[in-house]
Parts: sequence; structure tokens; C-alpha cells
Amino acid sequence: MKNKVIIPILILLSIIIGGYTAISKINSSTQNNEFSIKNGNWTVNPNMDLKNSYQRAYISRIGVFALDEKEALYFLSSKDNDGDPLTSDFDYQIIGTPPKGRYWSYTLYGEDYFLVKNVANIYTINKENLNIDKPIIVSSSKKDINWLPSGTETKFHITLRVYNPYESVYKNLESLDLPIIKKIEK
Amino acid sequence: MKKIFFYLWILLIMSVCSYNLTIHYIPNIVYTVFHYKIEKNQNIKDNEIKHFDIPTDQSRNVVMPNPDFLYSTIFYDLSEKDLNINANMPDSTYWSVSFYKPNTINWFVKNDQEFETNNLDLTLTFNDSKSQGVIKSPVKKGFMIIRILVEKKDQNSIDYYKSHQKSITIN
Repeated sequence: MKNKVIIPILILLSIIIGGYTAISKINSSTQNNEFSIKNGNWTVNPNMDLKNSYQRAYISRIGVFALDEKEALYFLSSKDNDGDPLTSDFDYQIIGTPPKGRYWSYTLYGEDYFLVKNVANIYTINKENLNIDKPIIVSSSKKDINWLPSGTETKFHITLRVYNPYESVYKNLESLDLPIIKKIEK
Repeated sequence: MKKIFFYLWILLIMSVCSYNLTIHYIPNIVYTVFHYKIEKNQNIKDNEIKHFDIPTDQSRNVVMPNPDFLYSTIFYDLSEKDLNINANMPDSTYWSVSFYKPNTINWFVKNDQEFETNNLDLTLTFNDSKSQGVIKSPVKKGFMIIRILVEKKDQNSIDYYKSHQKSITIN
């Protein structure tokens, strides 16, 4: 075969192989939270040292236009306390206190990282609308107080945001006491 | 036979280059797609501000939107002129101004507690300047987000914060 044919084929093949492998790598890193700091079943966005291309690609995949750790922390969990995936087939109770900061909130996102569809149009429990005397319940069926609807999602994850976290929080991400997500009777 | 090994070797090297380039440019691709979607769906151009409602499950512009925020955004282009950003921001909640490069790196963020006043009066420029209220962008083209926190979702609160959001102007 002449070079005229072989070279374009090689270029095309290398673009496909390299591009596909790179996207697969970022997707699998996203699934496994490889570039996040782990604390129990939670992962949290790392220090935004975004000179690391992998980390930048990862952040742009799961939280494009995120802020740095002094401004906001994003804790993600897709598992309950037993290590099982979160699913709307079960109810969950969030037990514990969020890390200290100016504002915090719990939000549910589906596998596609968009807000979970639900008839009540409730997407978040935050510092302001929480009833501190009652537990936070994640459930597909209606609850009167502190309800985070899980809709019909087969899998979802919970994001705990903390804005303007205390220094003692963002400097000790791996050892913080974080809330637990406990499976409860439906 | 030798030729086949040579071609395979070339293919390997080029695939590694393609892999690294893809990893490096994924954020730029994400940004370009986002820019295209917003421009097409919202019918806005560079240096025009877009005020978004509080995100819902129908919001598909960007992953993991915070449903406690009102977002206002601008794709800025400083090639021809500086941008002046003015607003009467609320004094009772978190709000912030942040800027991003087209590779999605956040190069500036400042919140309500760091501004001296709620009357926002900023100039964004690509030129060197050390004047107060002037922010030098490291890139001619980029993205700005103004976030306003709406913790309570009653209509009065939403309307109140929306009135502040609408006060944000660009010229």
C-alpha cells in the first residue's frame, strides 16, 4: 500500500484509539472518583490544583464551573453506610451534622448528574429550611418534614455542599466526621 | 514485515499523543459545547448577560446545578472593549462573582463578605491596570458567573432576590 493511503489511515486510527481511550479513562475515573479525596463513603473535590490535566478533565466532567475549596466544598456519596448503592427502592436517613461553614445543603442528583425529577419539585434541604428536630429522610414517597425526594431513580447520589467552610474543615477533609446515610424501613 | 512493525510503532506513538491531547482539551470541549448550547438555546451573544431561574430537574445546561442559586452568566470577550459590571446586590445572603477561562479553570472568585459594598461596580479588562475595582483577565475570552443564594423558596424571597439579580447590568 502506498504511503498516501497508509498515513491518513494511521492518523484516523490514532485519533480514534487515543480519543476513545482518554474518554473511557475519564469516565471510569469519574465512576471510581479517582481524583477525589475519600472520607468514608463520601468523596470531596480536591484542592483545585488544576495544572493536572486529568484532574481538570475530571472536574469538568462532574462539576464544571466549580469553585475552589475555600469558597465551596462538594461532598458526594453514591453509597449508603453499608456500602450499597443509593437507589429509590429504599429510604434513607441522613444522620449527623454537616461540616461547619456559612451555608450547607443536601441535593440529590441522578446518574446523569442532573437534579432528580419529582412531583413535589423539592431538590434540596439546606441550613435554612431544615427542621432541626426531625431527621432528613431520602425517599421516593412523600414525607411531611425534611424530605429529599428520590423520585424513580435506580441510582442516585447525594451532594453535600458547604460554602465558605471553616479553615479547620477544608484543611482536614480526610479526617472530618461526616454525616452517615443509613438505609431505613420504607 | 519490518514495515508493519514500523507502522504499528507510529500508530502507537500517535495514539499516545492523541490520548494526551484529548485529556488536555476535554475541559475546552465541555466549555465549547456549553457555550454553543447556551448561545443556541438562550439566544444570547458574547458580552450579553443571561439571568437564569432557580434550577429544576428540567435544567440541562450544566451538570450538578445548585437548586439554591440564582445564576447570572456572561460569555465575555474583551477583544474590543472592557466590560463594566454594575449591580445592586442583596445584603442578606451569600452572593459571589467568579470568572473562568475557556478551559473551565476558575481564576477569580470573590463573595459578598469580601466586597466592601453591595453596590457592585467592577471593570473587567485584558489590559494592565491596578485601579481599584478593575479586574485584569488573563484571557480575552472567558466566562463569568454571579451566584445569589436563595435559601428560602417562598415566592416573596424568590422575587426579592430576582429583583437584585435583574439589577446586574453589563456595558
